[in-house]
Amino acid sequence: MSTAERVVFEHVTKRYPGTGTGNPGAVEDLSLEVPAGKVCVLVGPSGCGKTTSLKMINRLIEPTSGRILIGDRDVAKQDVIALRRGIGYVIQQVGLFPHQTVAENVATVPRLLGWDEGRCRARANELLELVGLDPARYADRYPSALSGGERQRIGVARALAADPPILLMDEPFGAVDPIVRERLQNELLRLHEELAKTIVFVTHDIDEAIKMGDLVAVMQVGGHLAQFGPPAEILASPANDFVARFVGADRGLKRLSLSRVGELELRTPALVRSGEDAEAARRAAWDDPFRYVLMVDTENRPVGWIDARAIPRQGTLSADIAVGASPLLNRRTTLKDALSMLLDADVQAGLVVDRKGALLGLVTAETIAEFMRDTGAAQRPADLDEQPARPAP
Amino acid sequence: MIDWAWIAGHLDVLAYRTLQHLYLTAIAVAVGFAISFGLAVLAVRRRPAYGPIVGVTGLLYTIPSLALFPFFIPITGLSDFTAEIPLVLYSLLIFIRNIVAGLDGVPRDILEAADGAGYGPRTRFWRIEVPLAIPLIVAGIRLAAVSTIGLVTITGILGDRFGGLGFFIFEGRRHSFATEIFLGGLVTIVLAVAVDTALVRIQRRLTPWARAAIR
Repeated sequence: MSTAERVVFEHVTKRYPGTGTGNPGAVEDLSLEVPAGKVCVLVGPSGCGKTTSLKMINRLIEPTSGRILIGDRDVAKQDVIALRRGIGYVIQQVGLFPHQTVAENVATVPRLLGWDEGRCRARANELLELVGLDPARYADRYPSALSGGERQRIGVARALAADPPILLMDEPFGAVDPIVRERLQNELLRLHEELAKTIVFVTHDIDEAIKMGDLVAVMQVGGHLAQFGPPAEILASPANDFVARFVGADRGLKRLSLSRVGELELRTPALVRSGEDAEAARRAAWDDPFRYVLMVDTENRPVGWIDARAIPRQGTLSADIAVGASPLLNRRTTLKDALSMLLDADVQAGLVVDRKGALLGLVTAETIAEFMRDTGAAQRPADLDEQPARPAP
Repeated sequence: MIDWAWIAGHLDVLAYRTLQHLYLTAIAVAVGFAISFGLAVLAVRRRPAYGPIVGVTGLLYTIPSLALFPFFIPITGLSDFTAEIPLVLYSLLIFIRNIVAGLDGVPRDILEAADGAGYGPRTRFWRIEVPLAIPLIVAGIRLAAVSTIGLVTITGILGDRFGGLGFFIFEGRRHSFATEIFLGGLVTIVLAVAVDTALVRIQRRLTPWARAAIR
């Protein structure tokens, strides 16, 4: 199995003849490094040069100046055919060869490399399984008999066939419907976790960029790199006005899907158990800012909330005064999902539980808002001219 | 009307003329295809060449066949060349148009995928472009073959050595013998239909993937 390699752009410029800078598809002095094994998404409006940049990696387009390295090797100094056989390439229209069966399509590069028939076939079957298609059902079909989602999976399998260290994907999920797209995105993330390839991925969809990228490069028309960094950083502190507008006014909400409940500082409510002394529980409830205590069972699993006013002055607590089902979250729940559940629920507090259902703590909308403020505003640049000047705190 | 007994008595001549017809057709189609393939590839690679190539072959196509067959007698005498040269010239336009359309019709995304996978220009041409152009190329071969089968009858104008099944038509005319004219015409039609059907079968076999498209 080949190891992933880094991809480096060093002052790469592509100009098209007869036009100055700022023409569609041009790239202006692009420098960035994608570390080995990471997913880097090039995102931007059409004509921003993202596809040009991608195609300069496998030299379908040659740069006007600058150089591109894979690992430590300059792509311009390698044999172009050998270079391309060593790079997986997936395009939006997939481009499966209609006159070849699925197995033949998948084994394209192995066959070009001269592998024998049996080894090609075995590799094709292995890859079909990897992308979730049953080889017995699919290997001998022709592409015309497949759905869009199946074709795209086979496109990915074909790109992976010779186990390349790098995968280039040009709007790979742009032509499939949203449900299939989401599934393919999740599958690609799973594949990436499994195979750890370096992936350079082009899209015009900022949501896809945020979801797929370890790193996101936002490009603007004229081929300028506007910002390069992890998605959370781009959402929290857009480098300029263009990026801020491109990621959208709802970038705060988008950031919610990047963080998980496990990152929050959880509050612990006052806990009581069935059969405990009522008077002690009543005092604890009146001490709580929300005037509630949470009843848990012997395994610390939440049972329900008890209103301070509902607790009898004497005797013991019984489970039937516990009311209100709080949404149950776990540490892997995204803040977006958590907030959504809180907005839907009767009780505006989510209970975070571990795998066995035992309580870890409490999340409220305020907890989430506080977290977003703390992680976001700190790095906000001052030059957002679109935003009204805010009074000093 | 039809003198069946005469036909029954001339089956050996019929067989000979049918074979001659097929032979003249096969050579013309094979040579015409080879020349056209080269010209078509040139036209696809160098776009400016397409206009002149189609212009000249189109002009050749418009020359009446009765005029063109005797045209080469001063150069090639009464050899097979005299018959074959016009047959080949007439096939060029049909072939070139179809081969160019076939090669042009290969979708760009497929070519890009092939380039990205590391096909060299020659491998890409033979393993991707030509196979995908086969339906239109074979369509061109069918048209050219049927049209050539028709034209071979006219080579009978060069004399009894030529003509294939056209021999019967010309000889029947000379003797005002309807049966013989009818025989020449009928078998020519049967031959054209048979060759066309055979080519369709060959194309189906060459392009199993094209059938999968029609689900």
